[in-house]
Amino acid sequence: MFSGCCGCCSALRPRYKRLVDNIFPVIPQDGLVKSNMEKLTFYSLSSPEKLDRIGEYLFQKAARDIYRKRYGFVIIAMEAMDQLLVACHAQTLNLFVESFLKMVQKLLESTEPQLQILATQSFVRFANIEEDTPSYHRRYDFFVSKFSAMCHSNEHGEVRDKIRVAGIRGLQAVVRKTVSDDLVENIWEPVHMDKIVPSLLFNMQESGFHMKETGNIEEAPEDQVDPPMLAETCMRELVGRASFGHIRAVLRPVLRHFDLHKLWVPNQFAIHVFRIIMFSIQAQYSYTVVESLMAHLDENSKSSPTIRTSIADVLSKIIAIAAGESVGPSVLEIINSLLSHLRDSVRNGLSQTDEKQYQEALINALGEFANHLPDYQKIEIMMFIMSKIPFPLVDNNTPADNLLQSILLKSLLKVGTKYQTIHLNTTFPVSFLEPLLRMSLAPDPDMRLLVQKILHTLIDRHNNLEKLSKPTVNVHELELTMEKSSRPDLIFINKHGPVIYDALYTSLQMDTNGVENIEAIYTTLALLCVELASNETIIDLLQLVLGIQNLALTNNDLSNAQKFNLHAVVASLLTLIPIVLNIKPLADYAAKIGKARKHEAPHLLPDLLVHYPANSESANKLPHLLVDQMAICEFVKAGGLDPTRLAQTSPYGAGGPGAVAGNHRHSWVESGARGSIMELPGGQDVDSVSSSPGVQRIIIKEKPPRTSEWHCEVNRHQSWDALFKFPVPRTSSDRSITSRILRRTNNKLPEEELTFESMKKVLTEPPEARKEAEAERREQLSHTFRTATFSELLHRTQPKHDILQNKLNEIFKSLSTTEANRSPIDREKKSNIPVYEQNFPEL
Amino acid sequence: MEDFKFLFKVVLVGNAGVGKTCLVRRFTQGLFPPGQGATIGVDFMIKTVEVDNEKVKLQIWDTAGQERFRSITQSYYRSAHALILVYDISCQPTFDCLPDWLREIEEYASSKVLRVLVGNKIDREDREIPTVVGEDFAARHNMYFLETSAKEAENVERLFMKIAEDLMQQARSKDLPRYDSNTTNISGRTSAVSDNSCCSKLA
Ligand SMILES: Nc1nc2c(ncn2[C@@H]2O[C@H](COP(=O)(O)OP(=O)(O)O)[C@@H](O)[C@H]2O)c(=O)[nH]1
Ligand SMILES: [Mg+2]
Repeated sequence: MFSGCCGCCSALRPRYKRLVDNIFPVIPQDGLVKSNMEKLTFYSLSSPEKLDRIGEYLFQKAARDIYRKRYGFVIIAMEAMDQLLVACHAQTLNLFVESFLKMVQKLLESTEPQLQILATQSFVRFANIEEDTPSYHRRYDFFVSKFSAMCHSNEHGEVRDKIRVAGIRGLQAVVRKTVSDDLVENIWEPVHMDKIVPSLLFNMQESGFHMKETGNIEEAPEDQVDPPMLAETCMRELVGRASFGHIRAVLRPVLRHFDLHKLWVPNQFAIHVFRIIMFSIQAQYSYTVVESLMAHLDENSKSSPTIRTSIADVLSKIIAIAAGESVGPSVLEIINSLLSHLRDSVRNGLSQTDEKQYQEALINALGEFANHLPDYQKIEIMMFIMSKIPFPLVDNNTPADNLLQSILLKSLLKVGTKYQTIHLNTTFPVSFLEPLLRMSLAPDPDMRLLVQKILHTLIDRHNNLEKLSKPTVNVHELELTMEKSSRPDLIFINKHGPVIYDALYTSLQMDTNGVENIEAIYTTLALLCVELASNETIIDLLQLVLGIQNLALTNNDLSNAQKFNLHAVVASLLTLIPIVLNIKPLADYAAKIGKARKHEAPHLLPDLLVHYPANSESANKLPHLLVDQMAICEFVKAGGLDPTRLAQTSPYGAGGPGAVAGNHRHSWVESGARGSIMELPGGQDVDSVSSSPGVQRIIIKEKPPRTSEWHCEVNRHQSWDALFKFPVPRTSSDRSITSRILRRTNNKLPEEELTFESMKKVLTEPPEARKEAEAERREQLSHTFRTATFSELLHRTQPKHDILQNKLNEIFKSLSTTEANRSPIDREKKSNIPVYEQNFPEL
Repeated sequence: MEDFKFLFKVVLVGNAGVGKTCLVRRFTQGLFPPGQGATIGVDFMIKTVEVDNEKVKLQIWDTAGQERFRSITQSYYRSAHALILVYDISCQPTFDCLPDWLREIEEYASSKVLRVLVGNKIDREDREIPTVVGEDFAARHNMYFLETSAKEAENVERLFMKIAEDLMQQARSKDLPRYDSNTTNISGRTSAVSDNSCCSKLA
C-alpha cells in the first residue's frame, strides 16, 4: 500500500509514520534503533490520539514483512509494539490494543516457530497489563484455538517443546486475562475448556514421572521450563480459579480425556491429576470432584471391571482430601453413592475376581473417606450402612443379597476400624446396636463372623483385640491393658448388657458355627469383660458362662466338637473374669479346673479344634471337670461380692435353643409380684415410660418373669426376642423404616405385646396355662423366623395401629366393667387411661 | 496487507493416514511433505485466496484422526464453516468409518456447516473405493464430493477454492453461521456475514 522506502517523499509523510519508519535499522540484525524508539514513545505519550494509527501502521508494516519473510523486521515491529503497550497509559490503549492483537494473531498464523513464540510472549505481556475499560466485543477464540494447537506441536527437535511451552503460556495468559470477568469472554464455556483442559493434560502426561518404565526420558536443560511442569502449574491455576459453577466445565473434559487416552488403567497419572485438582480447587468445592468421579463410575457401569476398579481407586486416593470439607448431607450422599455402586456391582457380576477387586476398591474408598471424618460422623455412617443391609433370612436370600450383606458388613467393618471408641454408649446407639445384633444371628456363618469383627473393633479401646483373639486359660501371659470402667460404661452395660449377652448366647447355639465363629464370639465376650467388667456386672457375666456350659451339656443340635469348643470358651472366660476383677478365690478355682482338665480332658480347653480325637469323652460324663454354680457362688462370696442373684435360676436355663428367645415375653404383666424392686433402666426407656404413666404403673407393679433379680434389671422388651419382631431395614428401604424401628423400640410397645388376645390372657388365665401357651408361641415364632420369607415377616410385623387402638379401648373397657373385682392396682390402671391415650397419640 | 474481506474456518477430519495433513500442506505450502509424523491434536494453517477479486482468508484446522484426540478435535468442529471429511480411496476401512464421522459432525458441528467428502490418493493404483461409490455416499448425505491426490496436486487447489467460493456465496446471501458474534454459542442461524471489519475483531 505504502512503499515506505521512498526517501524523497518521506518528508511529506505524516509525522507518526516517519517516527515509526525510523525505529527500523537498515539491516535487521542491528535491532531496534533505540534512540528513535524513545522518540516514538515520547510522541505517543504526548499525542495519545495518534496511538491507534501508530499501531495500525506498525501492523501493516509487519504484515508485509511477514509476507516477504523478512522476519528480522517483524521481530522489531513486535518489540516496538510491546514497548508502546507498556509505556502508554491505560485509557489511551484501547484502540492500540486492537492493532496489537491483530499483530499477535498475524505472527501466530505464520508457520515460523520463532514468530509464534515471539507472538506468545507479546500476548503474555498484554495479558498482564490492566486495561481501563474491558473490551466486551473482543474475542479470544482464535487464541485459545491456536495456543491449544501449539500445545500439541509435533515439530522436530527442541522447537517442539518451545512451541508447546509457548502454547501453554498463551493459554495461561488467556485464562488470566478473561477469568475475572465473564462478560469479556466466558472462558469456562465448553468450547474453550474442551480445548484448554486436554491441551494441558496432554502435556502433563508427557512427563516422565508416571511412566518411569520407559526410562529413556531425556533430562531437560536446567534453565528450560519443560512443558509438563508448566502445564501442571497452569492446571493448578485454572482449577484454583474455578468457582462452583465452573468446576464441572473443567472436570468434564478431564474425565473425557482419561477415557479417550485410556489413562484409567494404569491409573498413576489419573491419581496424580486428581490430586492436583483436589489440592488446587477451592476447598469448599472439593466435594464436587468426588461427585463427578462417582458420576463417571456410573457412566462406566458397562466398562470393564478393571477400568471401574481403577476409577474407584482414584476415588479412594482423593476422597480423604474431600472428607475434611464435606459436611452433613454431602457426606451421606457420598456414602450412599458408594453403597449403590457396591450394590450395582453385586447385582451385575457375582463371582468374577475383577468385579471383586472393584468392590474392594469401593470399600477402600469408603474406608478412606470415613477415616477422615470426625468420629461422630463415622457413627452416622455406620448407622447408615447398617440401614442399607438387607436382613438375612433363611432360604430367602438370593446369592446377590448374601453377597451384598457381606460386602456392606465389610464396609461397616472398614469404617469401624477407623473409628476410635471412647464411650460405648456413643458408639452403640440403640438404632445401631440392635440391627447389628440381629445381624449377628444371620444364617450365614461368614456374615456372623463379620458382625463379631465389627463388634471387636468397636468394643476394643485398649488394643487387647489381638491378645484376646483366641480363647486361652493363660490369661496372665496376655499382658492385657485395663482401665477401671467409667460410669458411662457401667450405664451402657447395665442397659444393653442383657441384649448383647442374649445375642451372643443365641449365636453360640448355631450349629453352623465353625471354630472361627466360636472364637470370635469368645473375643467379643472377653473384650466386653476387659472393657466393662465391674463388681456390679460380674454376676451377669458368670451367669452367661454357666449358661454357655449348660448349652454345651444339653443342646442336641451342636456337634461334639462344637460342644468341646464351648467348654473351652467357658474355661477361658472363667479364667479371665476373676483376673480382670481381681477375685483371687475365683481365679484359683478357675485355675484348678483348668489344671484338672489339662490332665483328664484337654479337649475341654483351648485351642479350639475342628476335629477332636475319637476317644474324647463327653463333658456330661466328667461332672467333676465342669464349672459348678454353687462353687462359683461361694468363691464370689469369698471375694466379697453378693452371689444371691447367681444362686437363683439362670436366664440361660436348661431350655435349650429358643428358650432364651421369648423368655421374658409378656411376663411383665404377671400378677402379684415383687415388681416393686424392679428398676427401670435409664435413658430413653425412662423417658418413654414416664411419658405414659398408665403403662408405667403396669410395669412397676408387675411380677418379674422369674424369681431371678437378673430379670428385674433387664428391660425385657429389649431382649433379643423383642428385637426380631420389628420390621427390618432392607436394601432399598429408606431410613424411615429404621427410624420407625427406633421409635417403636423406644416406646417399648411393639404391637405384639399389646394385642387384645395377649392382654386378655394375661388378665384372665392362670399363670401356668399361659406359660405353656407362651412356650408354644415361642416355638412357633422361632419357627417362623427361620422359615418365613422376608416379606411375610415384614407383613406380620407391620404396625397395625388402628386395630391396636380399638383393641386397647376394648381392653380398658373390659377392665373398667370388672373393676369391682380387681385389686386397687387394677383400679389405678383404669384411672390412668385418659393420660395414657393422651400420651400415645400415635397408637 | 491484512485486507482480506472474508475469513472462513475449515476443519479436516477423517481417519489417520488418509492424507489430511498432506492435502493442507499441498494447498498452503505447495508441497508434498516427505514422511512427517502423524498429526497430534490439531494443526493450524492459513491461506489467503482470491475469489471474484476478493481476498478470502482460510483458517485451516487439521485434526488428528486418532480416537484419543477426539475430545480436542471435536471442540474445533463447532466453529467450522466448512468440514472436509477425507477417506483414502485405496483403503476400504477409511471409507467404512465415514458414518461414524458423520455422526460426530452431526453432534458437534453447526448444522449449517458446509460438508465436503474427499476421496484422497487417487494417484494410487490399488483403488478399493470406486468413484461412484464415493459420489453416491456424498449424494446420500448431502455433501459435496471430490477425489484428490495430495501427492500429484490433483484437485487440491480446486477443493479449497470451491469451498472458498461456496462459503463466499453463502456469506453474500448471509446464510453463514456466524461465530464471531457476541455470543459464543453457535445457533447456526442465519446472521450477518463476516467481512473485513468483522473479522478484524479477532474472530
Ligand atoms: N500416494 C499417496 N499418498 C498420500 C497422499 N496423501 C497422503 N499420502 C500418504 O499417506 C500417509 C498419511 O498422510 P497424512 O497426510 O499424514 O495423513 P493424515 O493422518 O490424514 O494427516 C503419508 O505417508 C503420505 O505420504 C496421496 O495423495 N497419494
Ligand atoms: Mg495428519
